[in-house]
Amino acid sequence: MLREFTCIMCPQGCDISVELDGTTITSITGNKCAKGEAYVTQEIENPMRNIATSVLIDGGELPLASVRLSNVIPKDRIFDVMAEIRRVELPAPVHEGDVVIHDVLGLGADVIITKDVDVA
Amino acid sequence: MEQWDVVVIGAGVVGSAVARELARYRLRVAVLEKELDVACGNSSRNTGMLHAGFTYKPGSLKAECAVEGNKEFDQVAAELGVPFKRTGKLVVGFTDHDMENILKFKAIGEQNGVEGMRIIDKEEIERIEPHAGGEFAMYVPSSGILDPMAYTIALADNAAQNGVKFFFDRKVTAIERYIANDCYLVHTPAGAFRTKWVINCAGAYASQISEMLGYPNYPVRGFKGEYFVLDKKAGEFLKIPVYPAPNDKGGFSTHATPTVDGNILVGPDSYVTEDWEDYKCTKDHLDGLIRDGSKMFKQMRREYFIRNFAGIRWKRVDEDGNVLDFKLESDQQHNPNTVNLVGIESPGVTCALPLARRAVARLVEVEKPQVNENFDPVRPAPKRFYDMTREEQAAAIAEDPEYGEIVCRCETVTRAEIRRAINNPLGVHTVTGIKNRTRATMGRCQGGYCETRITEMIEQELGIEPTDVRFNHAGSYMFTGPVRGAQAPGEAAEGSVSA
Amino acid sequence: MKHVDAVIVGGGPAGLAAAIELRRKGIDDILILEREKKPGGILRQCIHDGFGLTRFGETLSGPEYAARFVREAEALQIPCLTDTTVLEITPDRHVYASSSEHGMMEFEAGAIVLAMGCRERTRGAISIPGTRPAGVYTAGVAQAYINLKNKMVGRRVVILGSGDIGMIMARRMTLEGAKVLGVFEVQPYASGLPRNVEQCLNDYGIPLSLSHTVTDIRGTDRLESVVISQVDDHMQPIPGTEQEYECDTLILSVGLIPENELTWMAGAEKDPGTSGAAVDENYQTTVPGIFAAGNVLHVHDLVDFVSLEAEALADGAARFIREGSLPACELAVRGNELVGGLTPSRISGTGDVTVSFRVRRPLRNCTVELVQGDTVVKRRRMPKALPAEMIQIKLKADDLNQTDDLEVKVSC
Repeated sequence: MLREFTCIMCPQGCDISVELDGTTITSITGNKCAKGEAYVTQEIENPMRNIATSVLIDGGELPLASVRLSNVIPKDRIFDVMAEIRRVELPAPVHEGDVVIHDVLGLGADVIITKDVDVA
Repeated sequence: MEQWDVVVIGAGVVGSAVARELARYRLRVAVLEKELDVACGNSSRNTGMLHAGFTYKPGSLKAECAVEGNKEFDQVAAELGVPFKRTGKLVVGFTDHDMENILKFKAIGEQNGVEGMRIIDKEEIERIEPHAGGEFAMYVPSSGILDPMAYTIALADNAAQNGVKFFFDRKVTAIERYIANDCYLVHTPAGAFRTKWVINCAGAYASQISEMLGYPNYPVRGFKGEYFVLDKKAGEFLKIPVYPAPNDKGGFSTHATPTVDGNILVGPDSYVTEDWEDYKCTKDHLDGLIRDGSKMFKQMRREYFIRNFAGIRWKRVDEDGNVLDFKLESDQQHNPNTVNLVGIESPGVTCALPLARRAVARLVEVEKPQVNENFDPVRPAPKRFYDMTREEQAAAIAEDPEYGEIVCRCETVTRAEIRRAINNPLGVHTVTGIKNRTRATMGRCQGGYCETRITEMIEQELGIEPTDVRFNHAGSYMFTGPVRGAQAPGEAAEGSVSA
Repeated sequence: MKHVDAVIVGGGPAGLAAAIELRRKGIDDILILEREKKPGGILRQCIHDGFGLTRFGETLSGPEYAARFVREAEALQIPCLTDTTVLEITPDRHVYASSSEHGMMEFEAGAIVLAMGCRERTRGAISIPGTRPAGVYTAGVAQAYINLKNKMVGRRVVILGSGDIGMIMARRMTLEGAKVLGVFEVQPYASGLPRNVEQCLNDYGIPLSLSHTVTDIRGTDRLESVVISQVDDHMQPIPGTEQEYECDTLILSVGLIPENELTWMAGAEKDPGTSGAAVDENYQTTVPGIFAAGNVLHVHDLVDFVSLEAEALADGAARFIREGSLPACELAVRGNELVGGLTPSRISGTGDVTVSFRVRRPLRNCTVELVQGDTVVKRRRMPKALPAEMIQIKLKADDLNQTDDLEVKVSC
């Protein structure tokens, strides 16, 4: 079976075509680097994504601090993780790199602050 | 229930002018407006011309008031602190028929008392305005440009400053006359107003109010026109309004006009509409404006487009569809203590104060009110930061540091000016209201930089929630709630990803 | 009035990178003027990841990417006046700026670096017909409200334009519980990067409709619906294809325009191809000593290239500050009909140069040739070239002559 992918590992966005036998790749074309093959392999087995959003900050110069995950999580758990992040409320100050939730939902990724927010 | 001496229905340019002229007497005056600000209808949806008065039938109220309003406007603008330029106007023609019409209306203008009109050749057009089209033209020195929104705000501010009360979000739904008590009850969804006098300045809706007062529901027809607003960069190419030769009835099609702020307006075209609130722009008409506007203004280029808008001239018409004069009437016998103004459209901005004086005279004749000795015709209007010299700017910041913070970059509007606008005498606090009082968000980025700051300032200054901020109309909420926190609606939402 | 060797207008990614690199090149007297409360520019609201792969070899969020430069500028003790808006730049390099804290300021600059970035194209600029209700936002404004101000702008969303920010906002609003009905693009191809079509739209089942546009906006108070029509090859709506979408929000992602008001005030000439200033190989505008880099010069798709360009600018700017002039650049740079947004406009033929441009439409198996006279200076074959992706080609001084104009030829 032939499947087409757009690689999201870098801005080049290679169009990758793979020939599949079940879930085994028999041939791959279009990727300019090894990351492309790794991406497609992962995408076939269990697509993983990072997400970026915000958490509420109390008493800060900004009402929100941005967060992302330290690692990718399964794509189909994105909205479960969003629900966890939505519950977080932190007092200012917060700093880039602060861990907001360790190992969120046991998925092996931390939710980390990506922007310093000082006290107002 | 509070007792008013006069209720003015409508806070357009005419209603605001009437309110200001009423403030010269010791009267308790309330102005009822269905929108959240003054001049939301056609008072602001026009070219902003101070008309000279050469296309109106001699002896008509339009001709009489236009010439009168034109002559006095330098003084009015100075009193009210309204930016105004007596630019003159070029009425350009290409054909023999154009010349015939231009000469016809030149003669009418002279009859109406318009001074200084003269026919000029192409060479002189070039000299006056190199970017104007046309083979020949009539030059009309008395025409001028003003910002009709700023003018209406100034009239209303000045009225409010002299004691008139403005009530917004008050659409008049019914008017009852109580003969025994010699008063009217003017009903709105937010309560009734008891008043001795009613003055109808309802603009597009004047015929409906007219009927509520006992006058006829005069037939009107809506002539809609659409506009382009061009960037100030285009404004550098045009210093004087350029109109095409009038048609046989004295109507003008698409023209190009500089604004007092340095933009260019191209439009309006003209077509009939039946919807009172039909202010939408349409692709066909905008395309038409690009085509026709290019004949008047050679720099009509897409890169200069920053905005579109539409207005409707609700003209009073007879059974055959012929356009009639403004209607100004009172009838002490059948509808006592009322003044009815219907079919006020172009040149309504030019005529607003002359009409207001005539309307108020009807009341004064009957009521003989005491003169308000404290009436101050002068409205304080601090200089804009943008218009100041560098030295003046430095001094302004030294006095009030908020002048140092530029909120709107395109129009160079400072935090001090926004704050002052939020605390305006009329209590208007829509985002559009702040825009119209400061020019913030009116520039080429259309609020991309400053709108987030302005909404935040409105919330902080007035202590209101983001969900209570309004863009222009009563239901024009800008935010559905916080992203995070108390009532964040996202909490209930369930999203999903695609396999 | 105070003399400053280098005044940097804008403390976003371009301004910060230029300042840091100038300091490294030995220019001590530098001042950054930034209108926001903090440096970092638009990156502060771009909370998604994907930044920094080229510049740092890792993927960062916008705030993290900006913070790296902010920290470095702080470590180098480069002064940055925030809450400060530049009002005017004169051709003789005087800069007027105002702030609440410092009042009206005037600087006489040895060199000026223009790093004001870009702004969004608006509804009015593309004349979308219809009424004027609340609920019509540009993507960047919606992003600022949602990511900085904690204000949700709507619940049921249509997006016009497939620019990167539009697609990123489609995902962002979906994550926050809004329903994004679709992204509509007037061109027959996506204008943003393919990875964003994949990870922002496809991942969340948001349809992308090419060759479609908004032909009516309805509602008087708040947006009630938009009408979408298919367009023909000339991008004109096809009658009979109208479809109404009920929504409370329309997000516009219809292009970015370099923010050059100060540039023109200073008397610099415009490059009609980029809408930014015409610059030479040193990133110097037509006004001596005034330089421009980053999105103010031409809109980039990746911030990494903004930083790299601003760093490259520092060479010429530092030399100008020391020597008072730079070698004349008299050779024109021109592109053929498939080339858009080409910079620089002029070169000397005696220095290294980075040529940047975009193809005007998506191409497959094309060839890029940089030609002087009869000599092909460089040839690159490209299996795929998209307008969304800026192409940059570096040329060495040794490969160039000093007599012939440089032509960029793309062929298929």
